[in-house]
Amino acid sequence: MKKKIIVACGGAVATSTIAANKVVELCKKNGIDVEICQIRISEIESNLPGTNLIVTTSKVKRDYGVPLVTGMPFISGIGVDKTEKAILDALKE
Amino acid sequence: MIWEELKESLIFTALEAQSYEDVMKQVGEKLIQEGYCKDTYADALVLREKEYPTGIDVEGVGVAIPHTDISHVNHQGIAIAVLDQPVTFTQMGTDDEFVDVRVVFVLAVVEPNEHIDHLERILAIIQDKDVLNRLQNVLDAKQIIEIIKVKEDTL
Repeated sequence: MKKKIIVACGGAVATSTIAANKVVELCKKNGIDVEICQIRISEIESNLPGTNLIVTTSKVKRDYGVPLVTGMPFISGIGVDKTEKAILDALKE
Repeated sequence: MIWEELKESLIFTALEAQSYEDVMKQVGEKLIQEGYCKDTYADALVLREKEYPTGIDVEGVGVAIPHTDISHVNHQGIAIAVLDQPVTFTQMGTDDEFVDVRVVFVLAVVEPNEHIDHLERILAIIQDKDVLNRLQNVLDAKQIIEIIKVKEDTL
């Protein structure tokens, strides 16, 4: 089944674009069919239905009831393996 | 290649700045003067940084990549500022973790989806702590471009 992933940052400028691209590559490599929804943090709520995972490069304090993984390691280059594993684990459920 | 796009007029070495706002005003003004960005760019950088900070701690070495909405940009460009003394940035993805920064890549971003390679290349450069350390010790724009060229040759 196709998984829906929200990738969100403040202004949907640079960092969420990078994170979204990394998530797509990761899922492709692992044979997971995904639909990426690249939006601003403020738009998460209205895009929630059907969402399996949220990846964000900004601070999110709210609990949306959906697994949330920080995409910061894709930007800093530190801890990428751990983040990729967290994303894949979240999508297995 | 990023190094081929760099312009010496957009590279600052030993820049004296009191705060990250000061860095953005000085560098942002230059990007406006050179036609890369609209008059609103420098203020927009500061506002966006307050809400969505861009400081990054690369294994103990600070770097920041301020950027803002594409509506303030005329065409793609990169300005680099190496600061005389570090200024404090908030770390990206947090509002309570800070990092001292001496290397700042100010990005004029247009259509990010069409320039993923470009953005990834910039990240590959700033994710290398040795490159950041080398950049911090340079006083000449030509050397900055050379360091980035050498790094890109390894990518």
